[in-house]
Formats: sequence, structure tokens, C-alpha cells
Amino acid sequence: MMPIFALQRSYKYMMYATKQPSLRIKQADLKCKNGCGYYGNPDWGGYCSKCYRGTMEKDRHHRKSHSDQSRSPVAGFSKFEEKKRQQTDKKSKYLNFAPVFRKTSAAKDVGRPERHHESRHINPEMQKLELEYMSYIHLGKQVRDDFFKFVKFFNVNIRNEVSSRPIEEVAAAAQKYYNFFANRINTHEIYAKAEQDVKDHLIDFFEKFSMTLLYGILFCPHATNDEEKDLAIQRRIRQLSWVNAHHLDCCISETSMEVRDLVYAAITHLLGMDSVKAPQEKLSYVVRCCQSVVEVLQHCQGGPVSADEFLPALIFVVLKANPARLKSNILYVTRFCNDTRLMQGEGGYYFTNLCCAVSFIENLTAESLNMSEEEFQGYMSGTITSVSAWESALVACEGMHQLCEHLSQLKGLSERMDDVQDATQSLRESMEAFKKEINTKVVEIRESTPLIIKPRKVPISLDKQDSNTTNLPSPIAPTVIATNPVSEHLEPVTIPITIDTVTDETDHDQGSVRHFYAQNLAAQELNLNDSKKGKLQLDITTPCMPIDTLKQSQSIELHGYDTQSLDGFITPDDGSLLGLSNINYDIDLSDLSADNSAADELTPEKRKSPNFIVDPFSPLNAPCNISQSPLIPSTAADLASSSNTDLKSDGFVLPFKIEESNLLDTQESSSPVNLPSPIKPHAPHYSGFSTQGVQFRVSPVILVIIIR
Amino acid sequence: MANNVHNFKVVLVGEGCVGKSSLILQYIENTFNSSHITTVQASFLTKKLNIDGQRVSLAIWDTAGQEQFHALGPLYYRNSNGAVLVYDITNESSFPKVKVWVKELRKMLGNDVCLVIVGNKTDLEKERHVNLQEAEQYSEAVGAIHFQTSAKLNEGVEDVFLALTNKMLEQAAKQRSRSETLERQGSQRRNVIIVDDEETAAPPTSSKQCCSHS
Repeated sequence: MMPIFALQRSYKYMMYATKQPSLRIKQADLKCKNGCGYYGNPDWGGYCSKCYRGTMEKDRHHRKSHSDQSRSPVAGFSKFEEKKRQQTDKKSKYLNFAPVFRKTSAAKDVGRPERHHESRHINPEMQKLELEYMSYIHLGKQVRDDFFKFVKFFNVNIRNEVSSRPIEEVAAAAQKYYNFFANRINTHEIYAKAEQDVKDHLIDFFEKFSMTLLYGILFCPHATNDEEKDLAIQRRIRQLSWVNAHHLDCCISETSMEVRDLVYAAITHLLGMDSVKAPQEKLSYVVRCCQSVVEVLQHCQGGPVSADEFLPALIFVVLKANPARLKSNILYVTRFCNDTRLMQGEGGYYFTNLCCAVSFIENLTAESLNMSEEEFQGYMSGTITSVSAWESALVACEGMHQLCEHLSQLKGLSERMDDVQDATQSLRESMEAFKKEINTKVVEIRESTPLIIKPRKVPISLDKQDSNTTNLPSPIAPTVIATNPVSEHLEPVTIPITIDTVTDETDHDQGSVRHFYAQNLAAQELNLNDSKKGKLQLDITTPCMPIDTLKQSQSIELHGYDTQSLDGFITPDDGSLLGLSNINYDIDLSDLSADNSAADELTPEKRKSPNFIVDPFSPLNAPCNISQSPLIPSTAADLASSSNTDLKSDGFVLPFKIEESNLLDTQESSSPVNLPSPIKPHAPHYSGFSTQGVQFRVSPVILVIIIR
Repeated sequence: MANNVHNFKVVLVGEGCVGKSSLILQYIENTFNSSHITTVQASFLTKKLNIDGQRVSLAIWDTAGQEQFHALGPLYYRNSNGAVLVYDITNESSFPKVKVWVKELRKMLGNDVCLVIVGNKTDLEKERHVNLQEAEQYSEAVGAIHFQTSAKLNEGVEDVFLALTNKMLEQAAKQRSRSETLERQGSQRRNVIIVDDEETAAPPTSSKQCCSHS
């Protein structure tokens, strides 16, 4: 109940604070509280003199009936105290009359009626305390008497000292008494029966009892300037009302409803501190407040809460609560709380934190909030105003509050929006980078492993050749050239050859194979003379010769390509017989493979070739093959390892092989009608070679010899 | 009772993020960064120990280590029996801070306060930036015990508080013997007061009556 009341009070007070101080007092405020129509007096609790006397009478009566049962020897003190307090109250009122016209007096206006309230109900409070003592009544009459004797003694001594000595000395004396009483309880035989924790409780209760009685004179004593300090800190906190959780680097989210409720609970407890009298009760309120703060933090961040997070949050709560008489309360607890007992435990720790928070607030500078001096001054002087959701919640205007709440929510949303945009930006960038990377990789790969369109594999089937033995004389005859040393230069060679072939073709129209051979041989000789590489040329020329229909240009092309393709063959070769033998051997192998597998593949090729029957030595086929061959001279060696099976077997052989296969194909496909005569004479020789590679090598030699 | 139980207040100081809270949580709860921690707050914790039959109750006060709260230190140190000064071995700037605190503590509490300097985060030995030798030398120079711990791996955490407690017990014994004589004087004075009390017990009752009647 009490805390809620205090909270309401504080809010009312806050609203006062926001209003301009007004000197106008409403008519209704001046009237008697009883509503009798006469004017009331604040000294009489807002009653008129008549009503006040009536209530007092009633009160006294009420009290008497209660206290008759358990009259405490101390009860008298409360009367005395009440009287004294009334006097001092009046005194302080007069002393502080001037501030009534100041804004800050609002706090006192709020506090004052309570004091009246207290003073009138002091006896019920005493009764409550006495009732509380009932829990120790089982300790016996002796204990009770001793306890109250001590309380009385303590009372009197402190009262005497307050008037004559500074408050610090009184506090020291009080601590001494506490210790003394604790010693007595622990040692005296009267208390021997009591258990340890009962003793401890009794010690605490002693403090509570005495301090409740002495509250009036010890809380905010006149000799001190505690009240001034209260006002100072209150003013200070009000000036710092713009400080929010963000400034303090604490993670309290001001807009969350649950968090706000928890913070309200903390504030309520903090304000409740002023509503109780005993130091230990005040401490317990501080502890409750701090536990709420811990809860808030846990709600906001999770996990155990350390001091690093706790203190800023507590500062925030203190700033937002702005408790009445904060400094007086702190000083009172510091002075009169049992140092050895209560200040050691959790209460002591949290109280110390509260002191730290207050101290921080008092000494707060721009630096401690991590902001520039100008900004700080701007806030302090009000030139910069921050609208926080927290502040607006305290302002009664609902619309305003919602507005602020929405603003802060929007702020959060826009922050998140920014985050999202940043994320998308970075995503986009990474996508770009990825794209680029992929592109460069692709280019790299394409460069390092260029796309090579393999030639259509034209299997060589020697068996077929065997069957068409008639077809193959002329092309092989040139292979004899292997005997001739092979030279590196092809280009110069080709030209003369082509010329030759052209002439050959023209000649060939007449159909004399012999003549062709003669020509061919002549050309070969020429080639040999020119570049010592006649064999290849001869190879090339032979297929061309039978082609009557081909244009010269085609034939030329064919030759050009052939020579090039031959390049591949030649370059690796050192020349002479050795190279040739190798080649022959390879051919044999491929032939064998063709027997098994490639023969089938060959068939489509064969099917195809009949279409071109017109030109049996199909230059079309030849160029096709040749077209790949240009790659070979440069890359054949490199590609030896690549997937190209033909090349793999041995790159340099390929051209030869292809050529030969072409030849074979054409020979096969071509009807014997086309090329009977030239081939036939040599056919028997050829069949002999094809079956055995070794022989193949030998026969050209023979041929060459013949030619020569 | 008071004779048997020693109540010691230990403050835990150190820059932010050096692992003060982890250290005491590891000590009290034997957990690190775990979600099973029962304490909701790691700022004030108590631990009861029994050392050679002497019952000790440690009240460990965590302090806010941020720079802006530095000035509040003395409020925390008041009446503390021991202090654990924590620095982060991977953070060079955290060690000079320890020196500042040592000075402050010595100034405020004199030589009565027992100091332990703790280099935390030894699990990050690779990233060490504070020279071990230097730290040990300094600790010796100011009369503090030096320890290295890893709150994460629970290495040496127990030792820190055990050593500190032993030291505080020694200190307490020393103080008691020293104040024995003073104590006697004090108790005598109190006896006088008691006599006072017996005598003055009567007057208030009478005054009460006159008050109530008036």
C-alpha cells in the first residue's frame, strides 16, 4: 500500500514540478477537511479548530482503550516525542517559509502532511511495534523488561545528545549502544535461553524499535543541512531528467511494457524507502528496489547481472524516481543503521550502490555520460530537448505519450531498416564479387584448357583395307619417303607440290595412273631436293590426284592442310627410319583396336562416304581432318595426355593416321571403278604391309628404291 | 557466535570486461557463462568457508569497473577486509588500472587490507599482453599475492579466495591481539555507561508522565 501511495505522490509531485509555481491557493484547500464550512489550518491537519479537537479527542480515546491492555513504559515517550515533533515541525516550517515560493518547496509540501499524519498515529505505530515484540514474548518477562529498559535508556541518552552534540557523534554513540546491546544479549544470562537467530532478531528489533521512536529527531535533524542537500539533489535530478538509459550505457529498453512495469516496481520500492522509519526497513526497501533493477536487467539481457550493468541501471532508476528526501534518508541510514550487522550483508551492498548512484548523479559531468561539453550544457540549459518515451509516459497526455512511444519504435525500425539495407548492400557486393570471380575463373579455365573439338574419330580398319586391297597402292607408295630424311620445313615445300598436284590433276583427267605416278615421283624428287621431306608430300598428293572434279583451289587447300598436319608428325620425329618404324607400329595397334570396337563406328562413316562417291578420295573428308590438325603441331605434344584418344596414343602420329584412314575410307567407299588402275598394281604389296607392321616399314624402302 | 564466525568483506575491482563477474560466479557457482546459474545477480555473493575450524563468511562485492565510476571506488572499499584486483592478461591497459586501485586501497585502508592481484584469462595465453614477471614483481612490491586464473576453465579460482581468506584470517588475528588492550579500555568505558543506564532508567518514566499530563 505504502509504496504505491508514495509513487502516486511522487508522480503528483513530478507534475507539480512541471507546472509553474503558483501563489494562488484554492478556496477549497483552505476549508476544513471535515467540510463544516469553517476555514481549516494546516497546523491542525487541515481541520478547523473545533473539528481538530474532536478528532484528537476521539483519537486519544481510541488509543487509551488499546493501550490499556499492554501499557508500555515507553509509550509515554511517544507523547513527548509527538509534542516535540510538532514544535520542531512548526519551527522548520517557519524557518523554511521562504522556499514556499520556490519551485522546490513542492517536496516539502508533500512531505509535511505525512508528518502530521505520523504524529497523530504514532501510538498505533508503537502498538504495532509492541505487537511485533509479542513474537519474543516467549523469552519471558525478564527479557522483556530488560529489552524495554534498554530501549528507554537508549532513547533518553540519544535525545540528550542530539540537542548538545553534532549528529555524527550521536550516530557514533548509537552504534556504541547497538554493540553494547548485542554484547549484552549474547552474554547476559537472561538471554541465555534464547537461540542464536532469535538473539540476532532481537538485536535488529532493538534497533528498529528505538529508531522508530527516535525517527522524528534523528531523521533530517535541524542542526544539519540535510534538508538543503535533499533539495539540492532533487533539483539536480530534475535538471538531469533528460538523461536516458542510452546515455548511461545500460540496456533498459524504455518502450517495452514489461520492462517498464519492472522499472516502475523498482521506483516504487525506492520511493517506499521514505515511508518507513527504521533504518533496517529503509534498507529492505533499497534491497527490494535493487532486486527489481536486477530483474529488469535480467529481462533485458539475460544471464547473471554483474555490477558493471547493475550500477548504471540503478542510476537510471534513481534519476527517474527522484525520491523525496533522498539524501536525508541515505544519511539517516548511514548514521543509524547497525554498522556491524546490516551493513555487511546484501542490504549493505545495495545501499552502497545507492550511495554510489547518488554520488555519481551529484558529480555527473559531460565526460561521465560520454558526450561533448557543449551537448551536455545544451541539455542542462534546456536548449537541446530530447523527447524520450520514458518522460512522456509520466506526462499525463496519452496522445503525447503514444506519439513518443511510436517515435522511439520508428527509430528502432529505421535502425533495423538500415541494418537490412546494409546487409542487402553487402550481399549485393558479395554477389558481384562472386560473379566476377566466377567469370575470371571461367576465362582462366578456358585459357588453360581451350576447347578442342575432337575430330570425328575415324577408325582405321585394316581388315577392310585388306579386303579392298586394290584400293591402296598409291597413297602408301609415298610413305616410302620415310627413308628420306625428314626436314622441318614444310611451307616452302607445299607450294611446289600444289603446283604439281594441279598439274597432276589436269593430267589425271586423261586417266593414266602411270603418268600420275611419274609426276608424283617427280614432285617427290623435287620436294626431296627442296626440303628432304618428300614422303609426306607424296602422301598428300596421292589422294588428290584421283579427284577429277575438285577445283584447283580445293586441292591446294588440301595440300596446305596436309602438310601442316604432317608437321605434327614430322616435328617430333628426328626423321629417317626410326621415326617411321614407330609410326607404322602405331598404325598397327590402332588397326587392331579398330577391328574390335572402332569397326562399328566406322560404319556410319562408311555409310556417309558413299554419298560422296563422286569424289572417292573425298577431299571433303580430308579437309575435315585437316582442320583439326592445325592444332596439332603446336599442341600435339601437350595434348598427348588429353582426352583425345587419337592424339593420346601419340600426337605426332595422328596426322598420318588420319590421312591414312581417309585414304582407306575413300578407297573403301570408292567403287573400284574410279580408281582401279592406279591402285591395283600396288595392291598386293600393300596387303602384305598392313597385316604386319614390320613389313610395312620394309616395303616402302623397297618402293623408294624402285622409285629412285 | 561472533567469536567463531569471521565476517569478511571482499571487494572485487578491475576494469570492465576483465572477467570479475565470471571469476566470482565460477567460485560460487562453479559455472562459467552457463544458463544454469541460479543466482540472478553476480554482484553480491556470499560464501561460507571453514578453514582449520575457523568459520569464515565471505561477502564478495562486485564493483562497476567502468571508467566513469572510478571515483565511486572509495564508497565500495569502506570497511573491506580484502580486495581482489583483477586484470586481463590479454589487455595491456587493464594492468595499470590495477596499480591505481592498489594505491587507492592502500591510501584508504592502509596495510590492514589484504590484496590479491589476479591475472585472468590464462586460457588466452597466446594473446598475452601483460608480462607475467612484471606483474609478479609489482605484486610483491605492494605486498599483494599474485595469481593467474582462468575463470573459463576454472583454473586457480579457488586458490585465489583461499589464499585471500587465509591472509585475512592472519590479519584479523594480528588486529585482535593488537586491539586487545584497547578493547579492555573500551569495555571499561562501556561498563561505566551501563551504570549510567541503571541510574538514568528511572527519570524518563517520570518525565513521560509529566509530558502526558501537560
